[in-house]
Amino acid sequence: MIPLLQFRNVSFGYGSREVVRNASFDLHAGSCAALIGPNGAGKTTMLRLAAGSLRSRTGEVLLSGTPLSAIPLKTTARTVALVPQQLEVPFQFTVRQVVEQGRTPYLSVLRGLQRDDRIAIDRALDLTDATNLQHRVFNELSGGERQRVKIALGLAQQPTLLLLDEPTQSLDIGRQLELIDLLHFLNSEGITILASIHDLQLIDGNFSSVVLLSPHTSLSTGTPGDMLNPSLLEKAFDCPPRRHPMLIQRTQRDSRRAV
Amino acid sequence: MAIEVIPEPPRMEPSSPLPEPASISAPDPKRHPHVEQIERVKISFTALVVLLVLAFILVVLFSLATGAVRISPATILSALFGHTPLTATQKIILMQIRLPRILASGIVGAALAISGLMFQGLFRNPMADPYVIGASGGAVLGACIGIFFFSQLSLLGFSATALLAFAGSIVTMTIVYALARTNGGTNVITLLLAGFAVSTMLSYSSSIFELFDASNGSNNAVLLAWLRGAIGVPQAMQLGVAGAVLLLSCSCATPLMRQLNTLALGDEYAHQLGLRVEVTRVGIILIGSLLTAIAVSLGGLISFAGLIVPHIARLLLGPDHVRLLPVTALSGAIFLVVADTLARSILSPTEIPVGILMAFIGGPFFLYLLRKTKRSYAL
Repeated sequence: MIPLLQFRNVSFGYGSREVVRNASFDLHAGSCAALIGPNGAGKTTMLRLAAGSLRSRTGEVLLSGTPLSAIPLKTTARTVALVPQQLEVPFQFTVRQVVEQGRTPYLSVLRGLQRDDRIAIDRALDLTDATNLQHRVFNELSGGERQRVKIALGLAQQPTLLLLDEPTQSLDIGRQLELIDLLHFLNSEGITILASIHDLQLIDGNFSSVVLLSPHTSLSTGTPGDMLNPSLLEKAFDCPPRRHPMLIQRTQRDSRRAV
Repeated sequence: MAIEVIPEPPRMEPSSPLPEPASISAPDPKRHPHVEQIERVKISFTALVVLLVLAFILVVLFSLATGAVRISPATILSALFGHTPLTATQKIILMQIRLPRILASGIVGAALAISGLMFQGLFRNPMADPYVIGASGGAVLGACIGIFFFSQLSLLGFSATALLAFAGSIVTMTIVYALARTNGGTNVITLLLAGFAVSTMLSYSSSIFELFDASNGSNNAVLLAWLRGAIGVPQAMQLGVAGAVLLLSCSCATPLMRQLNTLALGDEYAHQLGLRVEVTRVGIILIGSLLTAIAVSLGGLISFAGLIVPHIARLLLGPDHVRLLPVTALSGAIFLVVADTLARSILSPTEIPVGILMAFIGGPFFLYLLRKTKRSYAL
């Protein structure tokens, strides 16, 4: 089976600083994957490469086996949606007006929003439970509401691959779980998910696979059970294992299992 | 509301029992009482357009009636419907002096307002305006060069003056745009400072021509009027070309308006949504500069009109550029016809250049906007 998203020896850097070095991994359709790694390891860069907003210096990013550089811009936008960490909108755009922009890849120069576009927008708002926010001004939303609207904007593109950059960041624990529930629901609807996640506690039980990106180790993928291995995390995050509660807990659990 | 971590690693079968999205959360409507208020301020689009068309007709009628020789609106209307014909003098005053000037100010107002709207959308910033960012200054300098060196030249029916005004405006826009952009965004302060520096340089460069001109004196009055921003009585040909270019620019701008909405999300996001950002950007700079050049060729350097009109239209209608385009064009025309009528009648028989009047109205408004935007438009 051809993976939905494939990185083949991808390298990328800003100026002379190389951020992603020779990265290769496969993401299969239907998975719900977490992208983890220390600050500055290039998680955001990986997602931007996958969405086609950055072009790799060497290597290739493939979408269902076709290099991203060979796919027309609009076709990519109908397949992949990236929910950014920050979205700043000038002027007093309403939530609905913001979500409408997700239909851009389906519109031509002279053809405005049609019935099926409105249906897609309504559905995106409904899925993210943002229907009752639609007439609010985007800039006046709270962090959690904003996150839902950003996802609605991505869903309006009707993507098969949804990339999320730190979706749980700046959410309280209750809203984090709501977000995870939403990701599960979208995943059950057939959308493949790749989300960069900072809080490793959220990964176990919530994601089907993990991609670990670190300047200290080579890029590796696996199940959460394999990847949340204390010695691997210690190396990848350059974190003394006796200093962090999660690593201590995992080390104890592993040693208990060994007994 | 029951929320819990799903205990087992989900294997992601579509049939797995997952929480309904409806149970995620239900925001309390009582928490946001201001929502209704915002709704109430916004007027229906069609009603607003009809209202503006009526207002435009009224404003033109009263402007026609105003002047040293008073001709009452009733007289004009009855002549229009063929009841009592006008005297020969009245006809000359209305048809050859007042009407062309009113039409010219309408065109200038609409052109400035639309280019203001487009530049604000492009820069994602409500402070942009052809005057503030120097496009008008560039057009004036281009036109000055045209008047002095190539006054006999014309290309495809356009005078070199108009073409050079267009070129000056595009070059300035490109320079300011390049200076103000950092990391895919436009910093307000950089934009204003770059615009300020460039337009100051340009307007003093234009003044040099004034010095050179003092000796021969032929074009002096034209040039002075231009730099002050005065709308004269245009020739029929000039008015026709300007009107045609305005209509053409509006029709080319229409498809770009939806793209401006998309660009509000930022260049990178717009690109991810499949928009050819570079093409849109070039289109907007070209059309915005063309509109600025028309306005400058008819009225010289008029400040702030492109700033005030889109801002007020946005307050009434929200930020959707597609709907803002016709509303901004009509309001701009009304605004400048009123301003020009005031300019020629307040201190009658002396005429104030409308540019000076606009500076008095626009300056305080700009400062008010600067205070206000410090909070709500921080990018």
